[in-house]
Amino acid sequence: MKKTLPIILSLLIFSLPLMAGGAQEEQGPMTLTVWTHEDPNRTAIEERYISEFEATHPDVTIERVTNSSQKMPELLLTAFAANEGPHIFNTQIEDAYAYIVNGRVGAVDPPSAGYKSVKALKDAYVEGVLDAVTMDVEVYGLPLELTNWAPYINKRVIRAAGLDPDRDYPRTWEDIVAVSEKIILRDGEIITRRGFDFRYPYYLVSMVPMVEQLGGQLISDDGKTAIVGDEAWLKFLRFMADWGPFGKNLGSPTYTNARKLFDADNNDMAMAMSGLYQEGRIRADNPEFYESGDWMVIPFPQFKDAVREAACAYYGHFYMVNSQKSEREQKASWEFVSYMLSHPEEYLTEVGLIQPTRALMASKTFSDMPYAQVFADDMARGSMVYYGENSAKIQELIKEAVEGVMLGGIEPEKALASLKVKAQEVLDQE
Amino acid sequence: MKKKYSGIEKKLSRWGWTFVTPALLFFSLFSFYPIVNAAYTSLFRKKILSLKPPTFIGLKNYAYLLRSDDFWNSIRATFAFTLGAFLPLLVVSLLLAVLILSVKRGQKFLQLAYYAPAVLSSVVAAVIWMSIFDPRGLGNQWLNFLLNTPGTDHKWLADSFMVQLSTILVYFWKYIGYFVVIFIAGLAAIPGSLYEAALIDGADRWQSFWRITFPLLKPTVVLVSVMAMLQCLKTFSTQYLFVQSGSPQAPINVITLNIYNTGIRDHMIGRSSAMSIILFIIMLFFTWLQFKTTKADEVSY
Amino acid sequence: MIKQKFSPLNVLAGLILLGALVFTLVPILFMFSASMMPAKDILRMPFRWIPRGFHWQNFAKAVAGNDGSFIFIRNIANSLFVSSVVTVTTVMLSSLTGYGLAKFRFRGRNFVFLAIMATMMIPFEAIMIPLYLVATKLHLQNSYAGLIVPFLVNAFGVFMMRQYLLPFPEEFLDATRIDGASEPGIFWHIVLPNCAPAIATLSILTFRSQWDNLLWPLLVAQSEKMKTLPLYIVKFAAEKYTDEGAMMAVAVLGSIPMLVLFFSMSQYFVSGASVFSSRKG
Repeated sequence: MKKTLPIILSLLIFSLPLMAGGAQEEQGPMTLTVWTHEDPNRTAIEERYISEFEATHPDVTIERVTNSSQKMPELLLTAFAANEGPHIFNTQIEDAYAYIVNGRVGAVDPPSAGYKSVKALKDAYVEGVLDAVTMDVEVYGLPLELTNWAPYINKRVIRAAGLDPDRDYPRTWEDIVAVSEKIILRDGEIITRRGFDFRYPYYLVSMVPMVEQLGGQLISDDGKTAIVGDEAWLKFLRFMADWGPFGKNLGSPTYTNARKLFDADNNDMAMAMSGLYQEGRIRADNPEFYESGDWMVIPFPQFKDAVREAACAYYGHFYMVNSQKSEREQKASWEFVSYMLSHPEEYLTEVGLIQPTRALMASKTFSDMPYAQVFADDMARGSMVYYGENSAKIQELIKEAVEGVMLGGIEPEKALASLKVKAQEVLDQE
Repeated sequence: MKKKYSGIEKKLSRWGWTFVTPALLFFSLFSFYPIVNAAYTSLFRKKILSLKPPTFIGLKNYAYLLRSDDFWNSIRATFAFTLGAFLPLLVVSLLLAVLILSVKRGQKFLQLAYYAPAVLSSVVAAVIWMSIFDPRGLGNQWLNFLLNTPGTDHKWLADSFMVQLSTILVYFWKYIGYFVVIFIAGLAAIPGSLYEAALIDGADRWQSFWRITFPLLKPTVVLVSVMAMLQCLKTFSTQYLFVQSGSPQAPINVITLNIYNTGIRDHMIGRSSAMSIILFIIMLFFTWLQFKTTKADEVSY
Repeated sequence: MIKQKFSPLNVLAGLILLGALVFTLVPILFMFSASMMPAKDILRMPFRWIPRGFHWQNFAKAVAGNDGSFIFIRNIANSLFVSSVVTVTTVMLSSLTGYGLAKFRFRGRNFVFLAIMATMMIPFEAIMIPLYLVATKLHLQNSYAGLIVPFLVNAFGVFMMRQYLLPFPEEFLDATRIDGASEPGIFWHIVLPNCAPAIATLSILTFRSQWDNLLWPLLVAQSEKMKTLPLYIVKFAAEKYTDEGAMMAVAVLGSIPMLVLFFSMSQYFVSGASVFSSRKG
C-alpha cells in the first residue's frame, strides 16, 4: 500500500499530457466559437448577424462567448497556452500583436472575406490602420473598432466659472492649465471641482503623443533605443509634476476617473478625455444632459511650442482567427467575420464603434454623429498606439515615472534617467 | 505514548491510509500535477504563446530573479504586507471571538456583522473601498475629523506608505470575520466546564484565559496563524485592484502581482514560474517554522 | 453564561466590539444605500447616506440584466448549486482526511499532511494554465463538472478538520472499537456528529469562497447558461457600461443566500460545543 500509492499517483500525473485530443473533420457540420468582450449593444446586433449567417450557411453553427473586457487577455492566453483557443476572437492591438508574431493567428483569406486580393482589402480601409496587423505582405486581423480620445467639455461648468465655452475652450496644454485654474474648487488641498482629468492608466494612448508634440519619441525609428529626446520628455514630466498635488494641485491619478463623473453632470468635472462612444453613454446615463446640448468635444490640445502636431493615439480591437484550426474552419471563420463587419454603419449608430473603412468615414451616417468630425480629424493627425509584446511593461514604466514626479516628489531628471535605463532593458530583452 | 497490540496498530495504519487516499488522488490531479508542472516550466525560457519548443536554461531564471531589484522589491512588499496584516488579524480575531462569547446578548448579530464583509462580492467591495479612498471620500473626511486637520488629503492611494496601509486595511476588513468564525468554532470545542471556569471571574479573567483557555485553543491558534500567514503571503486581488485604480505599483508590487504581470501580462511564463517556486519555498519554510515553534501537535489537558 | 458586571474591563470590551462593528459595517451600509440610488447620486461627493427615495429600477435592471435576458436567475441558481455541492463534498472529504491524519498513526503521515498543506502554498495564478490543461483533457469545460470537480476538497478544509480533531479523546474511540464498531462506522456515527461546530464553520467558509469564486469559472464557464453570479457581477462592472446602482443591487441580491446560510448555521457554533465537552469535561 505504502509503495503502490506513490506509483499510482505518479503514473496518473505523468499520463495526463498523453491523453488524446480530438481529430478534425474535413466535412459535415462545424461549430465555430467566437470569444469577445461583453458589450450589450453589440451583443444584440451580432446575435442577429449570427442567425442570418447560420441561415445562409446551414453547415455552420456559431457559438458566441462573452467575457469582461478586463479578463479577456488572461482567458485568451490560458486557452491558447493549452492549445484550446477559440476559432475567432478579438483583443486590443497591444495584446493581439503577440499572437501574430508567434504565429497563433492565420492571415486573412481575401476571397473568404469578400476581397479580390490583399491589396483590395487594404484599399477598403483608411490608409495605415491595418499596418498594426500586417506582417510581410499578409493581413492578420480586421478591425472591430478603432478609437481615439478627445476632451469632452461640460459647458455649464465652464460658464459657471465665468468663461464662454465656445470662445474660451482650450487649444493648448497651457490653456488647459489656465482654464482649469479658473474652474477648480478646493476644500483645503482636496479638490472638489476639477477642470480637466488625464486618463492616467493609459499613458501610451493619451500621454506619449504629448511627448511627441515636443519632438520626443517612445522608441527610435530603428527600434533600438527607448525614450528618445531628453528635452521633450523632461518638459513633459515637468508639466505633469506641475499639474500634480506638489505643483499647482490641479488633479492626480487617484481621484475618481473623470469620464464617469462627466456623465453625471454634478458640477464637479469640467473636461474629460473619452472616445466617440462616450456620446452613447451620456445619452444612456443622463438623457437630460445629453439633450441639453451643454456638452461639446474639442480637438486634442497641443503644446504652445509644439514642434509637430500630434493628436491622441488610437487603439483598436481586431477580429482574428486561430491558426491551429483546420483550413476549412479558418475560411468559414473569415467569411463570418467579414459578414459581421459588413455592417459598419450599424456598429457606429448602435454601438458607437468606428470601423475605419473608407466608405464609412465618407458616409453621411458618420458625419451626422455629433462631433464625429473632431474625432476623424484627430485620427488623421494621430498614429496607432505603441504595440509590442512589451508594451504593457513599457506603459508601467512610464506610469512609474509620471507618478513619481506627480506624487512622490521625485525630480523629473531623476525619474527620466531611471525610465530610460529600465525601458532600454525591456527593449533589449526582446 | 500508548501501548497497543501490533496487529491492531497495523490495521489502524491501513485505515489511516484508506481515509486519506481519496483526497490524495484528488490533490494529485488538481494540485500536485500543476505544481510539478510549474516547477518544470521554471527551468525553461518560455514565452507563453510561442509554439516553438522552449529552451532549457537550468537555473538561470532563478539567478536572474535573485539579481533583480524588482524581484527583491516584491519580496519586501510581500513581507511588509504580511507583517502588517498577519499579526493584527490573529490578535484581533482572537480577541473579538473571546469578547463575543463573553457578552450575553447579540452573539449571533455580532458574528454576522463581523463576517458580513466576507459576504460581499469582491468586485463590489472594490468599488466601495475605492470611493472611500477617493480624496473626496470618507477616508479623508473621517481621518480629518479625528485628527482635526480639515482639508488635508491623506493620499490613501498615492503615498507609498499610505497605499501599503490601505491595502492592509482592506485586507483586514475582508478577513477579520473569517478568522473570528474559526476561533469561535475552536472555542466551542473546548470542554464547557473549563471554558466557563476560564471566564467566570472578572478579576482574573485574563489569567485564566492564558492558563486554561489558550492552551486548549492551541490547535485553532495554529490553524488560524498558519492560514492567515499563508493567505497574507499569497495576497493578490487587493493589490491588483489598487494598481488598476491608479495607485503606484512599486510599494505594493507583492510577489503574486509580479508573477501575474510577468507571466500573464509580459508572457514570460518560465520566469514567472520560477517566482512561484521561490514563493512556494518561502511559504513552506515559514509553515514549517510555525509548526516547529508552536509544537503544534502537542495537546494536553 | 457569565455575570455581566459594569466594570472598566466590560466598558473596554464593549468599545472594542462597537469599534469593530462600525469598521466592518460601514461599507455594507454603503452597498445597501447605494443600491437604492440612481448612479448619478452614487458619484456625488460627499456621499449621501440616506437615499432620496427607492430607485427600484436598479433591482429591475439587476434581475433583467443589461440585455433583458433574465439570465441572472439562471446564474444565481448555478452559483447555489455549485456552491452547495462543493460545500457538501468538501465537508465530507475534509473530515474523512482530517480524521485520518489526526487520529491514525501510519508511516508517511506527516509527509501526506505536508503535501496537502503544500497545495496552499502556490498562488492560483501560477497553476492556472496547467490546471486548465487538466480540465480540457478531462473534457470539463462548460459543464457543471468543470465548475465543481476542481474544488471537491481543499487543503484548508483538511487542515481545519485535522486541527479540530486533534484534541478528540482517543480513549473514547478505543472504547468504541472494543465494542466492535467498524472504522467507517466510527467515523460516521461518532466522529462526524461530534464535529458540528467545525462542520458548520467549514460549510460557511467553503460556501463563501465558492460563492465569490471568479477566476476559474471565467475560464471554464463559457456559455451564458453556465455562468455563475460573480461573472454576472463582473459584467456590470465592464468598463464602458458601469451602472453602479444596478451593480450594488446585484450585490445585495447576491449576498442574501450567504446571510441566510450564516443565520441557519451559526447556532451550531456555540450549542454544538456541549457534545464534545460532556465527554471530556
